[in-house]
Amino acid sequence: MLAAALAVSGTLFARRAKLLVALVRLGKPVERFDNVPERVKNEAVIVLGQRKLLQRLVPGLIHAAIFWGFLVLFPTIVMAMIGAVDKEATLPWLGHQGWFAFMIDLFAVMVLAGVIGAAIIRKIQRPARFEGSHLGEADLILALIAGIVTTLLLWHASRIALGLNEWPEGASPVSNALSGLFGDGDVTQVLERVFVWAHILIILSFLAYLPHSKHLHIATAAFNVYFARTRARGRLEPLRFDVPEEEMRFGAGTAPDLTWKQTLDTFSCTECGRCQDVCPAWATGKELSPKLLIMALRDQVFEEGPKLIRGEDGFEPSPLVPNAVTDNVVWDCVTCGACVRECPVSIEHVDHIIDLRRHLVMMDSSFPAESEQMLRDVERASNPWGKPQTERADWAAELGVRVLEPGEPAPEVLYWVGCAASFDERARTAAESTAKLLKAAGVDFAILGPRESCTGDPARRIGNEYLFQAHAEQNVSTLNEAGVTKIVASCPHCFNTLGNEYPDFGGNYEVVHHSELLADLMRDGRLEPASGNDQTITYHDSCYLARHNDVKADPRAIVEAVGMPIEMERREERTFCCGAGGAHMWMEERAGAINEERVREAADTGAETLAVACPFCTVMLDDGVKARGDELRVVDVSTLLAESLDAAGDDSSRLGGPLPD
Amino acid sequence: MRILVCVKRVPLTGGKMVLTADEQALETRHLGFTISPHEECGVEEAVRLVEHHGGEVTVLTLGPAEAEEQIRDSLANGGDRGVHLVTGGEEWDPQATAAAVVETVQEEEAAGGGFDLIVFGNESADAGNYQVGIRAAYALGRPIATGLKGLSVEDGRARCEQEVPGGRDIYELPLPAVVSVLEGINLPRYPSVPAKLRARSKPVESRSPERPAPKLEKLRLVVPPGQGKQAEILGNGPEAAPAVVDVMRDLGVT
Amino acid sequence: MPVLALIEPNEELSLQALSLARDLGQPIHAFAVGEAHVELGAYGVQTVHVAEDERLSAYAPAAWAACLEQLIDRIEPTAVVAAGTSRGNEVLGHLAARRNLPFAANCIAVGSEGTVTRVRWGGSLLEEARIDSELKILSVAPHMVEATTVNGGVANVETVQANLDDGEFVVRVIEHAETRSAGISLAEAKVVISGGRGVGSADGFGMLEELAGLLNAAVGCSRVVTMAGWRPHTDQVGQTGTKVAPDLYIACGISGATQHIAGCKGAKKILAINSDAEAPILASADYAVIGDLAEVVPAITAELRKAQSS
Repeated sequence: MLAAALAVSGTLFARRAKLLVALVRLGKPVERFDNVPERVKNEAVIVLGQRKLLQRLVPGLIHAAIFWGFLVLFPTIVMAMIGAVDKEATLPWLGHQGWFAFMIDLFAVMVLAGVIGAAIIRKIQRPARFEGSHLGEADLILALIAGIVTTLLLWHASRIALGLNEWPEGASPVSNALSGLFGDGDVTQVLERVFVWAHILIILSFLAYLPHSKHLHIATAAFNVYFARTRARGRLEPLRFDVPEEEMRFGAGTAPDLTWKQTLDTFSCTECGRCQDVCPAWATGKELSPKLLIMALRDQVFEEGPKLIRGEDGFEPSPLVPNAVTDNVVWDCVTCGACVRECPVSIEHVDHIIDLRRHLVMMDSSFPAESEQMLRDVERASNPWGKPQTERADWAAELGVRVLEPGEPAPEVLYWVGCAASFDERARTAAESTAKLLKAAGVDFAILGPRESCTGDPARRIGNEYLFQAHAEQNVSTLNEAGVTKIVASCPHCFNTLGNEYPDFGGNYEVVHHSELLADLMRDGRLEPASGNDQTITYHDSCYLARHNDVKADPRAIVEAVGMPIEMERREERTFCCGAGGAHMWMEERAGAINEERVREAADTGAETLAVACPFCTVMLDDGVKARGDELRVVDVSTLLAESLDAAGDDSSRLGGPLPD
Repeated sequence: MRILVCVKRVPLTGGKMVLTADEQALETRHLGFTISPHEECGVEEAVRLVEHHGGEVTVLTLGPAEAEEQIRDSLANGGDRGVHLVTGGEEWDPQATAAAVVETVQEEEAAGGGFDLIVFGNESADAGNYQVGIRAAYALGRPIATGLKGLSVEDGRARCEQEVPGGRDIYELPLPAVVSVLEGINLPRYPSVPAKLRARSKPVESRSPERPAPKLEKLRLVVPPGQGKQAEILGNGPEAAPAVVDVMRDLGVT
Repeated sequence: MPVLALIEPNEELSLQALSLARDLGQPIHAFAVGEAHVELGAYGVQTVHVAEDERLSAYAPAAWAACLEQLIDRIEPTAVVAAGTSRGNEVLGHLAARRNLPFAANCIAVGSEGTVTRVRWGGSLLEEARIDSELKILSVAPHMVEATTVNGGVANVETVQANLDDGEFVVRVIEHAETRSAGISLAEAKVVISGGRGVGSADGFGMLEELAGLLNAAVGCSRVVTMAGWRPHTDQVGQTGTKVAPDLYIACGISGATQHIAGCKGAKKILAINSDAEAPILASADYAVIGDLAEVVPAITAELRKAQSS
């Protein structure tokens, strides 16, 4: 009978698994087989160590208890099956170990405690992140898990009562205590068989049910984590455009356009909602929830994938937009990456959004109307402001900043100013401050001036990969011809693209953010801020600095040197976006204001100054302050440092003076 | 339908005009370029007509080697083939331009059949001479309606609409005809990437015409005085409002 | 040396053209279709030649050019002048094509030996050129030359019997469709309030419309705004949109690219409202307010209400 049960359950599981594998294989190829040591490390830390789950301590511990419990209790499944066939037998050696019996008791209780904890969270606390999740499925799974460990404990208890335990009785206190419920007569004999069979059947049903439910993640999560990105977080995967006509299909338009990793992502989602909780779009009342996005894509894969595998006559997969998700969902995203950071099973939501955008923009020419001017300007004027490149160095004219002409030797460090600082009056101050500071510190630097064109980040983030690559290639060519090896960038988006994305196009430079370089100069004593400054400052981490690139300490070093820092709750890699990422600087915001939400948080700290390190954050948060009417001064860390040096009044660091030898 | 559209490569100037040292041209180093706006709409109009009626759109430009970029952009937006009259970068006066266009039209029509419609921009963004289309029409013996904001073709006739104070004036021209259009007649499409890739391999023929001596001879360019004047700052922020209202009173508008 | 000037009905700009005509020679002969304009004497016109042909009741550029041709043969002028309106440029273009003569469009001044100064880039750049022919055909850039009167008398009126072929009427207005436009048109308004990228959204124009209501002004926009779909192209002020010449032009959140300035430089006075003190528009404006237009515009509206109610 066991064999029959195993066969049924096994077959159901195997058939479903075969379909799932086939669905994953429908996806486009993507390189995720490199970097094995890093991948193995991720498995250890994220899967075994449950590190991402533990980012939320209590739910993390609950899940860890259940997960580790399952790992430890795995041999008991075999033991149960052996015991079902032969009442007296058990696993050789392990079945007789007292310490293992203790572990079983301990972990079974842990699992049970975890289930109870989960039930409390789901039924009593009811956190918002579960909005939209299939709670019924979760309840069933929790019940099954509870059933599995309960039947296990009761089976052991009944065996102890019958004297059938193969392990030293004292070793298993819980089973021991429970055994008091049973006598040693016929009823217990029957119950013992009932419990073992119940245990096995629940497990086998669980096994059969697993690949049909969101609990599928048990099987897929380990793979999903293994195949997750190991290269820079801020880097997007480039596309190839030198392809024959039949292959001119860019981005994800239909379910089979997703890569196999993206499909696997959708199978790994447990609907936990942690991503939804931290998404700035969802937080401000928009349609986008990363969780609902992944669930919707999963549903479409399941709906259409089997038909494609069967090769149904004339079946054409339908467009993901609008059939799985609406336009708004795709355009609401600011690519802040908070969702990716939270996800315990390493789903990469931003990659899904970008590929959906790539199809919409590059194949359908479908994108928010107000962004078209930006795309035309990037293409024709080489910057998203549409201003002539000839004016790019105008801000630097009176500061005596060297403009690198073609043929001249490269400076020690090239200052990549970025389009925002070159053309926007609010972003300009940071560039002016940075230039003055670099000069005061005697750094050998120059700017490219009119030869610096947009890095292409806004084009890439809105989905126009083709336009981005044209700019990447042109900039790499300019930089390589000039012999540039080190770059300091003011804009975190430029910093991210130059450092993480340009290597794909032959541009390999040492790229630092201006806060990193300025903090270094401070530490080296080449810049000495005034002491005793008591302005209260709260620092806003830019997503592209802190979350995508781990730059958090250096800007803080500057803030600490010039004033009194007060931290916000959502800081460092948990920072809350200003709202300009994902090309949103050039989109209208529909519904709720992300920037105002962030300004609220900053204002609540009571600080007088809101320090930033990004031109987009500068503009967005300043807009937010104006909209809310707060008394907050939004200022870049470079300007704070420059003001502090001015205040220090020391001749050697006086700004605007002659360039030191 | 066979349609010919003429386009011109013009720089994107921004806020200031800077001349070359010899005062013969704008300094275009580091400037971006585009198709002159009226003509970009002309390409779109031609492509829409051909999408509706079937046929082919040929794109013609007279310009330096770099002007191929504007032809390829037009092909990405739906044009089928291009003809590039390559110059050495010097400017051609409108009579010379029209003559070169006419010669090319005659060659093209002899080889491939007549153009039902020839589309020009009303005037180019840079030189603004307002006459190339009209001259070409006369040389070819065809009627021309200019400054169009609406165009449709039916039964061998073109219905042409101009915006005038109070409404629209309508003309009807028998084909073959010549038209010049204004920006606003349509909103040009944003090309898909496959369209841009395909445009790279669509056929573009090059010829190098001889430039005749100009009858409208450019002597030099001059930046108008008053560029770089400074506005009187009435104030910063909302507190400037009373000063603004005073100015309005002085001007008699309130 | 006589000069022939084309006069369009109801067109103030034709009077501006006469100022330049006077610099080219005299006597000034004017040509008009339909109506005699005896008051043109005040602008230096000696004779007005009026063409009467019932086919001319609707505009037909080739026919107008043909009339001019016949007058040219009779009067033998040294120059033919018109306003640089769409019709003026079109008719002179036809004339130049028919006679295979050069035509300088949109001039603002004439010099010696057939040189003219003409306008490029909608007015942001000037060209000095020489017209290489006996007969100089040129149009006068709108709103750049003042219409001035002289001590003339009353002009003579002569009727012209033009011999016009039917072929000259192939291109002729066959229908005029009235458009119902709400409010005052851009071209006629004494005050135009324009919004650019700085307005931020279609809804943002609400505050401009409110201010416009108090001033009986028209609301315009820059090209970025029409490309974004916030306003229709008919609202666009610029080199490729409508060119306006109000008493006051208020540019809100407009950076001042030359192609926009080309559309509003005819204004008597320009007020720029911009958050950037270094925006190019300040180099073309008479007055400026530096600040966020979302704060400044409502403040002006409030101040104006106060002023108007008192």
